[in-house]
Amino acid sequence: MVSVGDMLVGYATDDDVRKRGASGGLVTAVLAAALEKGLVENVVVLKHINEYEAVPIVTDDVEEVLASTGSMHSVPVNLAKYAVGRNVAMPAKPCDTQAVIEQAKRQMIDLDNTYIVGLNCGGSMHPVTTKKMLAEMYDIDPDDVVGEEIEKGKLIFKTKDGKEKAISIDELEEAGFGRRISCRFCTLKIPVNADLACGNWGVIGDLAGSATFCQVMNEKGAKLLDNAIEAGRIEVQPASDKALGIREKVNGAMENLGKTWEEKVFTGIPDEERMQYYMDQMADCINCGACKEVCPVCACDEDSKCTMFHSLVDDYKMSMYHLVRLLHLSDSCIACGQCSDVCPSDIPITLLQSRFAIPAQRRREYTPGMNVNDIPPYFEVMLK
Amino acid sequence: MKEMIYRTVCPGCNMGCGLYIREDDEGNVAVDFMKSSPANLGKLCRFGMKLPHHYTKATSMVDGVEASMEDAIQAASGKLKGADNVAMLSVGATTSEEHLAFTRIADALGTVVSTGMGAYGEIPSECHPAVGMGIPLEDIEQAGRIALFVDPYTQYPLLVRRLKAAKENGASIVAVGWQDLNIADENKYINPDQYESELGLDSDSIIITDVHPHSDPEQVKNLLNLALMTGARIMFMKPFVDSTGAQLLSKGTGQKGLQEIMDGINEGSIKTLVTLNSDPLELMSNSTDAAGTLEKLDNLIVITSRYSPVNNMANVVIGTEPLYAKAGSFMNVEGQMVKNSGEGTEGIDAMSTLSQNLGGSAFDFPALHNEVLESIVQEYTKPKYKELECKLMETAAAGDGKGNLVYVYNPFMWFDQPDDNDFVMVNMNMVRKLGLRKGGMIALTSDAGTLNIRYTVRDVPDGLILAMKKLPVATGSTTEVAAEAV
Repeated sequence: MVSVGDMLVGYATDDDVRKRGASGGLVTAVLAAALEKGLVENVVVLKHINEYEAVPIVTDDVEEVLASTGSMHSVPVNLAKYAVGRNVAMPAKPCDTQAVIEQAKRQMIDLDNTYIVGLNCGGSMHPVTTKKMLAEMYDIDPDDVVGEEIEKGKLIFKTKDGKEKAISIDELEEAGFGRRISCRFCTLKIPVNADLACGNWGVIGDLAGSATFCQVMNEKGAKLLDNAIEAGRIEVQPASDKALGIREKVNGAMENLGKTWEEKVFTGIPDEERMQYYMDQMADCINCGACKEVCPVCACDEDSKCTMFHSLVDDYKMSMYHLVRLLHLSDSCIACGQCSDVCPSDIPITLLQSRFAIPAQRRREYTPGMNVNDIPPYFEVMLK
Repeated sequence: MKEMIYRTVCPGCNMGCGLYIREDDEGNVAVDFMKSSPANLGKLCRFGMKLPHHYTKATSMVDGVEASMEDAIQAASGKLKGADNVAMLSVGATTSEEHLAFTRIADALGTVVSTGMGAYGEIPSECHPAVGMGIPLEDIEQAGRIALFVDPYTQYPLLVRRLKAAKENGASIVAVGWQDLNIADENKYINPDQYESELGLDSDSIIITDVHPHSDPEQVKNLLNLALMTGARIMFMKPFVDSTGAQLLSKGTGQKGLQEIMDGINEGSIKTLVTLNSDPLELMSNSTDAAGTLEKLDNLIVITSRYSPVNNMANVVIGTEPLYAKAGSFMNVEGQMVKNSGEGTEGIDAMSTLSQNLGGSAFDFPALHNEVLESIVQEYTKPKYKELECKLMETAAAGDGKGNLVYVYNPFMWFDQPDDNDFVMVNMNMVRKLGLRKGGMIALTSDAGTLNIRYTVRDVPDGLILAMKKLPVATGSTTEVAAEAV
């Protein structure tokens, strides 16, 4: 029996799943077992299209789960909204998990019905930029890539001919490639807010590259693993102290990198210039509403505060829509970067939101999406 | 719940923005972002975000009564057999393969398919490649100077990020149009004879304009001349998902412009109109007048994948699968071919049956797809700018600009999307002159009646009133109106 707090290393028992899945296919096997043993009705997974594209699907088909892609650094999607209103198991980066928990606070997701298999995340990349980076920095034809990995501060690509090429993330990011900007200043790398926290950090020795480190965060996490063991889909063993140490060391290095990036990204803006700065940044907005639509934390429907006072006929220098959103999300923005990703005018909305949200959340010692019982501070103020 | 996920392209214009359509087992449609799409990185504009509204399903009908597709095909065949004075319109709002299938029916009827782009007929054919094929979108980001003859915010929003990137790379932007654009370093309100001296263009520059069914041929010539005189490259944006593909597939057919078709109907030289995903009521500036024109037809046959107003007037509607579900491909404005993931061939199969009924050839999707590849893709798979091969042209004065109410042409607003753009734009001088009250209305009166509408104050030239949607008082792209405070 697995217990809360266990630190394990495991892999899929099926050779094919173990070979195809990232780091031994444990996550895929756990999700498949959750479905086939009736723990959940559906599983959210990424359906593989090619090395740079995967589309989220909600499926009740075990074979579809087993055929799904593992983690893909070049598929920067947040999966939380696909779980809304469903009884699902899902893989989740730390920011996916944060969004699921924020949705749960807003009664859109029932956490009792949602099993979250967390995945360590060093950051994700834009697929089109990744292709360009491969051609310009790696001298690799993007069509020749068969796999990718982040290890020891380097981004590694594996090609059809069995070769690997690694370049340091620092070098890539200096050249304007690498991770999305929001991933650079993110400091939540191990999804300790999920039911299981899985990844390849701390997988050493003979198992390196073919197993997953797994921390059991709560009873649901234990249930997920017990279920998969009982189904015969995974094998686990305790992680060694050395493995634990390495995992912590990698995590610490990634956290420090995130803090360094935060200082680089959020240079100070004098108070007297702040309003003009925001107006200039928002001036190219075309009022498409994509930033609201994609926001994994937003639980409002079409009739929401940010849209109900907004009209194209108004001639504000910055629309009511954005003003309301800046305030509305200041205690709940998780800086996942989705709004910047989809902005047709390339407005760095995540950075603008974060300039509001980071100080507001720190002042109240609140991090959104970590615990469903933590009430958003402005919500709490309203209740008082 | 089973969900179908389609990889497709936004039909709002010819930018070729990739997206996913999610369709549940009850037929509900949702849009999702395809970040791997090189044209748009998954980003969508106002139209793209509201696509589910656009995809209202078409129902096959005969004489206004719902019918099976088979009955609709038979009815259409009956009306078209032996018909004279037939015009066929496909603006490029469907797949290249369907457009090609439509030309097979035209062959059987002894006529041609028109894309409605009248400007092509007015410029020398050696200029067509440069008008028909754009510039690789990435090249915009590397230009030294860009002259804008479109408003990217309201017309082609996915241009905005390309222009921002160009500015970050050191480009300067000059805009010539109806209102000041935030993205432009300079906004000019000048005449064509001033373009060369005022815009400061050279071989490192790009001119961005557009061509659409209502384009003034003289302005197209003016801008081609400008490109020839300065050495600047020129890019014509286009309004329909396969405008580029349809134009390439239709070259040399002696096709008609949209206005020419409507004039032909009014004059009685066109008695039967067959349309493929093309609604004249949406396309014409004045829908009421357009409806009056279509009523003069003996036969109106509509082949379409979506509901639109013309369906209600048609003698026969052949309703096919939604665009996103079709097997087929589109060519975007830069010449990039994008393939739908859908496998539906209902539309092509219906047109094949219709063609056979009319004595023409049978065809299927694989054959048409191969023909599309052979006809246009080999040459254009990798976007590449087509150098201008035409000579300087004589131009007359531009025909536009006769009215003070200007419809700021916007391809997707034609599709009657739900929006909150029911206002006009005026400048502060007009507010003062008319005594407009804050929060009040402005009354616009033309030959078509009077309209009270909200207004907003923007940087527009003196005396002009700009509208972002078709207004009932408008009789064309520009309309002379009297304005007063309400």
